[in-house]
Amino acid sequence: MARPEWAPDGIDIDHPSAARMYDYLLGGSHNFAVDRKAVERFLAVMPDMAVHAQANRAFLYRAVRYLLDAGIRQFLDIGSGVPTVGNVHEVAQRVDPGARVVYVDIDPVAVTHSRSILAGNSYAAVIQEDLRRPEAILRHPAVRELFDLSQPVGLLMVAMLHAVPEVDDPHGLVKRLTNELAPGSYLAISHGTADGLREMVETIAKQSAENRYPLSLRDRDGVARFFTGFELVDPGLVWLSLWRPDDPDDIPDQPERSGSYAGVGRKS
Amino acid sequence: VNELVREWAAAIHGVCFVPLTAQERRMFVLGLASRLVDAMHTEPFDPAAGYEAGAALVAADYTAPEVLARTITVLQRRLVPQAAQVRRAALIEAVAAGFTRSLRRRTLDDQETIRVADRAARTDAERALRISEARFSYAALHDPLTHLPNQTVLIDRLEQLGTAHDREATRIGLCCIDLDRFEAINDSLGPPVGDRLLVAVADRLRGLAGERGHLVVRRNGDKFAILAERITSTEDATKIADQVLTVLAAPFQIDGYELSITASAGVVERPVSGETPTALVQAADVALHWAKADGRNRSRLFETHRNDRDVARHRLSAEIPAAMRRGEFTLVYQPLVELATNQLVGAEALARWRHPLHGELGADYFVELAEDTGLIVPLGIQLLEQACHQAVRWYGNPPPFVSVNVSTRQLHQPGLAGEILEVLDRIGMPPAQLQLEITESAVVATDNQTLGTLAALASSGIRIVIDDFGTGYSNFAYLYDLPIHGIKLAGKLLRDVGRPTAAGHAVLTALISLGFRLGLTVTAEGVETGVQARVLRGLGCRIGQGWHFGHPVPGHRLTAT
Repeated sequence: MARPEWAPDGIDIDHPSAARMYDYLLGGSHNFAVDRKAVERFLAVMPDMAVHAQANRAFLYRAVRYLLDAGIRQFLDIGSGVPTVGNVHEVAQRVDPGARVVYVDIDPVAVTHSRSILAGNSYAAVIQEDLRRPEAILRHPAVRELFDLSQPVGLLMVAMLHAVPEVDDPHGLVKRLTNELAPGSYLAISHGTADGLREMVETIAKQSAENRYPLSLRDRDGVARFFTGFELVDPGLVWLSLWRPDDPDDIPDQPERSGSYAGVGRKS
Repeated sequence: VNELVREWAAAIHGVCFVPLTAQERRMFVLGLASRLVDAMHTEPFDPAAGYEAGAALVAADYTAPEVLARTITVLQRRLVPQAAQVRRAALIEAVAAGFTRSLRRRTLDDQETIRVADRAARTDAERALRISEARFSYAALHDPLTHLPNQTVLIDRLEQLGTAHDREATRIGLCCIDLDRFEAINDSLGPPVGDRLLVAVADRLRGLAGERGHLVVRRNGDKFAILAERITSTEDATKIADQVLTVLAAPFQIDGYELSITASAGVVERPVSGETPTALVQAADVALHWAKADGRNRSRLFETHRNDRDVARHRLSAEIPAAMRRGEFTLVYQPLVELATNQLVGAEALARWRHPLHGELGADYFVELAEDTGLIVPLGIQLLEQACHQAVRWYGNPPPFVSVNVSTRQLHQPGLAGEILEVLDRIGMPPAQLQLEITESAVVATDNQTLGTLAALASSGIRIVIDDFGTGYSNFAYLYDLPIHGIKLAGKLLRDVGRPTAAGHAVLTALISLGFRLGLTVTAEGVETGVQARVLRGLGCRIGQGWHFGHPVPGHRLTAT
């Protein structure tokens, strides 16, 4: 008999989870042995991966502050993972206590944990959904309740889209999401690439394929295409640490070693 | 202090991500540094400030091991005065302890948090799965309309009982129920009303059987079943069926309609051992079929011998077509004698089946089967043709007529008159030599077409008589409405012949008189004695048939005794 359609799926908590692996990379303790083992295998090939994870986190922090300055008060963080240092709602609500944040993740444990962190916060919510169902995300009761979709939204997909393979048509998915956003909305993306460090990253990609989390690294054009319909704000699509650094000292000697592009675009 | 703050802030930046601006970071470090510097100078010396500084770093998310390592290096170099070596060492030691302990607590707390989240997620997932499975299995085992269990549940239960350790001692009663003419309600009032009726029926059955602990299932459509376990007698089982018919007999109020329905039930009662569930259900279904065939609104208990008979009949029925091809159906002829003269005037053709296995079978064995299957139509005309072939060979002036039975189904067959006339034409037999016997029930249900057939036959000169008169509906109106020539009185009416005071005698007298007055030829069947023949003649009966005048014989041996 076929599995009935109301049966929940995505229940697979005995395997490493991207969300918890990322948490471990960031130095967090919200992870299990399976997650740490999976991360160690990456680290063997790319020892400074932890630094890049922090760089991604720092980019998210800078992007959110930039969007807050631009007047954005609704944030949709897709692939939010395990709540960790510098969560969007903490950053946003420090600036404006009425700022709205909806986190989206596919991992049930990350979502359950996020829910406990957000308990009592009436302007932030977390939903368990899949980027591959963009309409389900936008029509989710939590989004409908917290957001005014006639107003601009800050859509955040940090270190997320390189987990979506071409077969799932990530560009089409992003298009379906952004089509429904009001003019003046922003899209912030950081995305892994093999540009500049081909050999090492290809080893990682190969390893990740064996690791249930195949990475779909894209070149600059591939990442830029996500911003179709958006106008990139200064400084455009750049290496992660070059996107509006707080301090010139924060720029490493070889920014391309981060293996990630970052950019923020505004919907015209 | 400024040097200390600048170096310390730079040392801890970049080893782990903390969402603080450079300014915020310096302010945070300044707070820690000031208290450490104060501690260096305060009397009496208290290293608590070091402990607090270590804890504060972790609390501010500076949790990387490098933060502690670099902090120690910075403090070694910049914490003044350099002379107070002991104090500095004690403070650094306290910072390391505070940091480590806080980090350890933080790590354990985080582990606990994520474990709780994991457990909650698992529980949620399992609950969701259980709910979906429960829903799924409920859907698989229940009828969505009435919410009764379905046939699968019945079969499963029978299987369980059949494998139970005490199955030898366990008798069950299975009652299959079917609403009579449910389709008519569906067709006339619409399926929604039909559906609500089914729900109401289900409720009554549930009410009846539920309190007794019986299993009620909806099998499909308007078919239900009740399983009673561990009953002690056949009466227990048939009682259930009777109760079902009773509770369903009360009218149903559905959508403003008052619906009165009846139901039929088939019951099987036996030990569960040695029977497959399917065989049990089939037996109950056979009994249900009997209840329907016996006129509906009743229950029937499955009986093996009736079933065997049915099976044999069914087998026989299936053999008819081949038997027709092989010419196994033949005719024998029983004399019809004019009572006044004792002259042979005709003979009734009686069908026989020369069955290769069972020997010669009388019409009772197969005419009804042929009628049920419709084979009576070709068989009837085949036998009629045989009879005519025989009759033209008979001598006499006039030669004896042949009387052939025509069944109801044949009579309703369009084109029968033409077909019969064609046979006569082909054989060259005058229509007046043919008499057709039709039953009362066939004429009671006459429609225009049948009427046309009878009129066409009569006008050609063929004679038509009503067979078995006086035992059926005995509607006299048709006697003068229809083109008929005579009536044949059923043999059982002769029961009281010779006892002038008996009621039967009066009836016989009246019927003969009635026929006589209407100008109909009256024939009496089943005449077995000379006394009967004499009395009938006295009453005005024209023709007699029966053992007294002669047994059925092959056509070439037909003579009057």
